[in-house]
Order: sequence, then structure tokens, then C-alpha cells
Amino acid sequence: MAVARIRNFSIVAHIDHGKSTLADRLLALTGTMDAKKAVDQVLDSMDLERERGITIKAHTVRLLYRARDGHEYTLNLIDTPGHVDFSYEVSRALAACEGALLIIDAAQGIEAQTLANYYLAHEAKLAIIPVINKIDLPAADVEGTREQITEELELDGHEALAISAKHGTGVPEVLEAIVARIPPPVGDPDAPLKALVFDSYYDSYLGVVVYVRLIDGRVRSGTRIAFMSNGRTYEVHQIGVLTPGLTPVEELSAGGVGYLTASVKRVADAKVGDTITEAVRPATEAIPGYRDAKPMVFAGLYPIEDTDYEALRDALEKLRLNDPAFTFEPETSLALGYGFRCGFLGMLHMEIVQERLERHYGLSLIVTSPSVQYRLLTTAGEVLEVDNPSKLPTPDKIEEMEEPYVGASIFVPTEFMTAIYRLAQEKRGEHRSLEYLGGKRVHIRFDFPLAEIVVDFYDKLKSISKGYASFDYEFSGFRLAELVKLDILLNGDPVDALSIIVHRDKAYEKGKALVEKLRQVIPRQLFEVAIQAAIGSRVIARETVKAMGKNVTAKCYGGDITRKRKLLERQKEGKKRMKQVGKVEVPQEAFLSVLKS
Amino acid sequence: MLADRRPVTASLGAYIHAPFCAKRCGYCAFNTAPWEPAAMARYVRAVMREMDLAGTVAWTPDVPVHSIFLGGGTPSLLAADDMSAILDRLRRRFRVLHDAEITVECNPESVTRVKLEAYRRAGVNRISLGVQAVDDQVLERLGRLHGAAAARAAFDAAREAGFGNVSVDLMYGLPGVERDDWRHGVETVLAWAPEHLSAYGLSLDPGSLWGASGVDGLPAEDAVVAQYWTLVSMARDHGFEHYEVSNYARPGYRSRHNLTYWRRGEYLAFGPGAAGFVADVRWANVKPVPRYCSETEAGRLPVDTCERLTDRQALAERLILGLRVADGVPASWLEERATGDGQLRTRIDWWQARGLLVFDNDRVRLTEEGYLLSDALFIDLL
Repeated sequence: MAVARIRNFSIVAHIDHGKSTLADRLLALTGTMDAKKAVDQVLDSMDLERERGITIKAHTVRLLYRARDGHEYTLNLIDTPGHVDFSYEVSRALAACEGALLIIDAAQGIEAQTLANYYLAHEAKLAIIPVINKIDLPAADVEGTREQITEELELDGHEALAISAKHGTGVPEVLEAIVARIPPPVGDPDAPLKALVFDSYYDSYLGVVVYVRLIDGRVRSGTRIAFMSNGRTYEVHQIGVLTPGLTPVEELSAGGVGYLTASVKRVADAKVGDTITEAVRPATEAIPGYRDAKPMVFAGLYPIEDTDYEALRDALEKLRLNDPAFTFEPETSLALGYGFRCGFLGMLHMEIVQERLERHYGLSLIVTSPSVQYRLLTTAGEVLEVDNPSKLPTPDKIEEMEEPYVGASIFVPTEFMTAIYRLAQEKRGEHRSLEYLGGKRVHIRFDFPLAEIVVDFYDKLKSISKGYASFDYEFSGFRLAELVKLDILLNGDPVDALSIIVHRDKAYEKGKALVEKLRQVIPRQLFEVAIQAAIGSRVIARETVKAMGKNVTAKCYGGDITRKRKLLERQKEGKKRMKQVGKVEVPQEAFLSVLKS
Repeated sequence: MLADRRPVTASLGAYIHAPFCAKRCGYCAFNTAPWEPAAMARYVRAVMREMDLAGTVAWTPDVPVHSIFLGGGTPSLLAADDMSAILDRLRRRFRVLHDAEITVECNPESVTRVKLEAYRRAGVNRISLGVQAVDDQVLERLGRLHGAAAARAAFDAAREAGFGNVSVDLMYGLPGVERDDWRHGVETVLAWAPEHLSAYGLSLDPGSLWGASGVDGLPAEDAVVAQYWTLVSMARDHGFEHYEVSNYARPGYRSRHNLTYWRRGEYLAFGPGAAGFVADVRWANVKPVPRYCSETEAGRLPVDTCERLTDRQALAERLILGLRVADGVPASWLEERATGDGQLRTRIDWWQARGLLVFDNDRVRLTEEGYLLSDALFIDLL
């Protein structure tokens, strides 16, 4: 296949603007796959993705299209994940493309994610084809949407395609536009091999299946390849294209998209963003933009039942095969027993891992307060990295402490600026720059302590900007900070799993909020439970859960003992989700209440 | 089901559910149906037919029935003739002991001396009177159709009709009832000198109107607990034994039928939604009255759900039922349950140390303080 007949593109859109419906149409029109099956199997292959309406893994499919010019084209659709935790993966998927379809709902117009995605695609220097979808809706305003595109994006609204993905109206023109408006890849098939890894997953039969976009060169089965980040070499077993199933082919060459297998044992050895080259004739430099996906947030994962420890370890090992961004190592807690310290890209990533463990492996888990990784210098002159508050040395042993900072980039309509600045201040943000984009939008840069933004910043940002703000961040380094360890005591005993590290100025406020939240989630017990927040030996906040006064079934309905027993069994089920800490029964959510207070 | 399972105890109870009510109360989550003469007539025929069907089982002539309890609903809506017919039918099909305890739940507004005399002639020897409260406003709020005066009149009518064993039902923790109101209510009822008193704490059960819509003016938990203790001490002062979580009796007047439940004895069940227990099987009849009737009319036992208990469940039941009663259970049962369960053992020690649970010779029982928190322990005994 000549490079000139290849088009690599992705589809980006605000949620619900019809991305999967259009993908589904394109697949059907090109005869790639039965439409219904496509949607079910390809674009929403995970329960979690379907339920949360987000895409976690990139999906890729090759379409063969005979255009009106009589030639057959290979169109590679590379779908992208859709959450800030995965913005690196998005950038790599986009880096594999030359163009993008930007879908806009004709009735809703441009929305927050339309913009965010537009900027991402723009930054990746893609040819962007605006597509106005849902023109069949009574509320559709095609002309208005064209104007909006012209005004708010740096695109010509009159070049937007007007379609109804649902009814198929205008979809053939989309295929033509992909051919006409998206440039073919430029690459030299005879140059040394240079291929971008934009996704990978573990398959128990094939080993790691690596999704690649070839920039230069060729690859065939038998080619000896090397990963440029770690220098590991492998012999390629199978190469092929995604239809969307794995379909072996003889060769992939410059501009092409497909997969390869090469007895790679761990996904961690074929990381997204890495460059694959030929071992004997390596490329001189790697594709720019590679980043080792490093965990940013750390939390302890503990089985509620001590006997599930082994099962948890097995499950973590299995999960890690497919998710190198997540790390784990054993740790112990006085309160919770044996568990694992796990590192995640962000909170969504953490929730996804937790849900998979609970759903697919049937484990009941406690997740402790998430923490970032602090760096400290001890009085003995030692440098330590601490991601678990309970491992923090006592204050007299600490010379100085540093916390991680990020550079954050926010795009937002001007009307929300004030609210954004207020939020930034609350989160200890430092303003870096402000740039007006046209008359209505600004691009603001802040530096934030990572600890302030990992937990609920994104949600807050969304809510104060009615969803219009887009947000991305990148680790920028460590800075000295006045930090203290805040302990939580239940009936006088510190619960290590509830300790957090906070900025000194925020300790009082945080402690108060935390004990209040814990009072709400800790159920009444047969005795009074005192909840205290303390810094060192100084108690800064206290709440009390009163003892249970009565818990009795007054009456059994005409001897209906089964009913009574079932009621008790249900209560017992609820109790199973609690962890006994000392004598106090603490529900799962208490450990995460740190987040929500 | 009855055919292939023989009772394991020497004698049985029998529960008969009479579902009709002239009005459904806000707090009620029982299986009830609006009272209509035609539906009542069909029900009476159906329940007797059910007795016929169950009575064909081979063991029925050998196993005596020691108690019958007509609960509802409002069983006292049954005409005296119907009451007599139902009890006669049960006697004809089963071996009802001549001294069996036969209780009918009565709502004050639905009984007269004449009707109660007729019930007595039909064999009824114990009346359980649904008084609930003795304040007209509170009674109205509960959705009851009687006032305080009618309650008193009904109690007197029972005495005049010759009933020497009358129980009164009260409810505590009711909306709008202050501590002194409650004390006054208990005093009033104790002054009537009943043989037996049941006092149920209000619970907002799913399935009740209040459970769904909520209710205003509920007293705080400590106020409800205070009402419980008021009742406990007043009942004791009047010579009552607190023999079960919610039940008090003068010596010799404990309810045989209810003790059957708590001792995990066996009982037959008749009527819509009625629950029975024989050998290792607990079952319940279909609840909707029309379907219950059509099943029996078609010659089928109207069983809806049925459950075989495992040994573990049986032991848990023995404990959680037996510990509701003042006599408690043999300590060896608790020992058996706690074997190999360190957490439960710690829990038991704690309950004992706190004076909630008492070991007496070779038995173990809850104290009156323990009753109040009993479900917290029962969960661990399951």
C-alpha cells in the first residue's frame, strides 16, 4: 500500500455528541463490521467505560475505503481515551495521526470537551475536520453552529460537514473529506525503522500485543526490533492490522498502523510513547514526546478480610500485566494489617483499579487516604522519598521537606476567570501567565502543589466552570514547604491509615473537616467513639459518635422468622464492609472520607 | 411439603392469619386487605379448605396442637359464627388439645360483650387487645379507629364475657408522646389489671405508609429508651415478669403460642401470608388474598416460599430466638457457635463485661439492657 493512500485519524468530541455512532457508521459503510457488533465490541469493550461514559483504552480499527476517485484507501481510525488522568495517552494516540474529526452536536454547539479536544488536536498539529452532527434533531441549528466554529475555534465553519450519524445522512462525505482533507503520512519506507507505540495490552496466548504507527521503515515477522527507551531487543513474531480483530499481514511500512507481537512479557516493556526501531540499523533519534508514565498518587490497598491478602496480590499482579502505569509493593499498617502501597496516575486511575479488583476479582478492599510523594532531608543528612504519611519521621528528625509541584494549563471562557482564580488561591496555586484567545477565552497557567489537585480539583473546576474549563498538568519539580502530619485518633488510638500530610496553614481546617466527615460515616457502636485530629500530641479537632441506644426488633410478624433472619443477614452483609480498627468498626468509605472533606 | 416432613417436637402451635382491616394504620407493614363482606366470606371458606388440604397429611392425627393464635389484620372482624366454624374445622382436621391456648387479636372498636361471649363459646380463651395508646389524639394519628374510652370498654367487655386471660398491646416511641404521657398510658393500662402486656417500640418498616413517607414528631432515641425503662420498672412494680424483649406477664400467664416461636417450636400456618415451620422447613403462604383463595379453591396448598434450613442456620435461629426470652438458652449452644470464632468470643466477653449478657448455671441470657441492643449481638450469631 502506497503511503499516499493511507490516512490516519481520530475522532474527538464532547461526551454524547455522537462519537461512537459516527465510528459505528464508518465501520458499517466501509463494510468493516456489522454496525451493532461494532459498537458493542469495539468502541465500548469494557463495562467500566460504558458505565462511566469515558474511554480508558485507545481503540483502533483499519477501514478499507474505495473513494470516488476510484482508488482504495486505508483509513486508520485511532480512538483516544477521554480523561485528564490519561492525557499523556491521548497525546500519544493523536501523535499517531495526521488528522482528526471534531464532532459537534448541532443542537448543543461547542462545549467544554469540544474545546479541550480541539486544543489537543491543534497542539498535535493535526488537520482538523469539523463535523456538525445530529442535524436531524428538531433543535438542530446548523448555521449557528457553523458561526460558532468560525468564532470560537480557529477553523472555517463553512467547511464543516453537516451530518446525521444516526440516520447516515452525510456520512459518505465524511469518508471523502478524510481522503481529501487529511494529508497522507510522510515517511520513508527505506529509512531505518521508527515506530511509535501508542497502546499495548497483554494477551495470555500472544504475550504483549503492541499497537504501532510506523513513521519510517518497515517491519516484518522475523525483524529484530529494539525499544529505544530501554534498549531491549526482540524478534517480531507476528505483525498485522486491526480489523478490529488481529489480522496478520506480511509487512507494515512507513505511515502504516497495526500491531506486532514479539514475545514481550510485560506491558511495562512496551510502554506507550516509546519508539521501536530495528536492532541492526537503529534510527538516530526516538520520536519526541516519550514520557515514562509515573505514578503521582499513592494509597494503601488492604483486603477487608485478612485471608484475602494472597488473592489481592495475585489480582494486582494480573492487573499490572496490562497497566504498567500502576505500581504496588507490600506494606503493613497497624490498623489494617497486611496490604499494598499502590501508585496511580491520578484519582480516576485509582478508582478504576479499585473497581476492577472488586468487580473482577470479588475482593472487598479498604483504600487509605491518597498521598503524593514527598521528599525530605533528615537531620542526619539523608534524602528520603515518602509516599505514606505513617512512614514520615518525627519532626525532630526532619531538616526540611519538599512537596511535588505541577505546571497546570487551564482553558476557560472569560466569564469563569474570577471563579478559577478563587479556586486556584484556595488550592495554593501560583499564577504564571494569562493569554487571551480571541475575545471569549483565556489560557491560564498556574503552578500547583500536586497534593492540592489530585483529589477533587478537576471536579471542582468542572463544576465552577459549568464544564467549560479544560485542564492538563505536568510534573514540574519539588519545592520546599511547611508540611505537618495530621493524625486521626479513634478513642485515643492513632489510626495510621487515616494520617495525612498537609500544609501547616491548612491543618486546622482540614482536621476539623475530617473529624466531622468521619462522625458522619462511622456508624454508632455499642460504646461512644471519640474522633480526634492531632498534630503531634496537640489535638486540634474532636467529634463524638454517641453510643447506640437501641437496636432491637420489637416484634416478629406472626412467627415470620425468615423475615427477621433476612433483615439481620442484610445488616450483617453491611457489616462485612467494615474493618475492625481496635474495637471500633470503621466502614470502607471512612478511609476515603479524607478525600471528600 | 407437610406430607414428607414430620414434626420433631411433641406438639405444635397453629397460626391463622385474618387479613382484613377496616382501615390500614400508618405504621403497619403486615399483610392486610380492605374489609369487604364478600371477600371475607370467600376468605372464610378458603381458610377452612386450606385446613382440609393440610389435614389429609398422615401424621396430623398423632401430633397434638397446643396453641392457636388468630392474628391479623383484624381477626375480630370475623363474625362469631365464622370464628366458630374456623376453629371447629381446625379441631376436626387436627388434634387440638382440650386445654390449648386459643388467642384472638381484637381491635377495641370491633368487639362487644356479646361477640366476645360467642368467641368464648367457640373455644377462644385468651384475648389480645390492640389498645396501642390511651390518648385520643395519638390514636387518631396512628390511624386507629378507637379512642381511649372504647379501649377501656373493650377490656371490660372481655372481662364481662368471662375472659380471665387478657393481654393488652401498647406501642412506645410514638410521635407526639412525651415521657409523662407514656407513664400515664402505662399506669392507665396497668390499672385495668390485665394478665399480660405486650409493648412494641415503633419501627418504620418498609411496606408501611410511615416507612415510605416518614412521620413527623418522632421522639429522640434516648426518649424512646427512657420509655422502655419506665415500662420495665412499672411492669415489675405491678408484679409482671419481663419474659421476652417486648412481653410482660403475671406469673403463669406467659403466652404459650409466642413462646413456641422463641423456643423454635413448630407451628402450622393458615391464611394469606401466614408463616409456618415444621421439621427443617420454614414456609409462607401467598400474600394477596384473591390469589390465596383461588389456590385453595383449586385444591392446592397456597404455599408461596419455602426454605430448608441448614444446621448452621438452625443453630443461629435457636440462639437469636432463644435469647429474646428471659430464660435464655443453654450455654452449650453459644459455646458451639463460638467455637473457632475468636471475634465472636471477644464480643461475647465484652457483652458479659458490660452486663448485657449473663451466664447463669449452665444457661445464658440477655439482661433487660441487653434486650435493647440485642440485634447488634444477633448479627454476629448468624
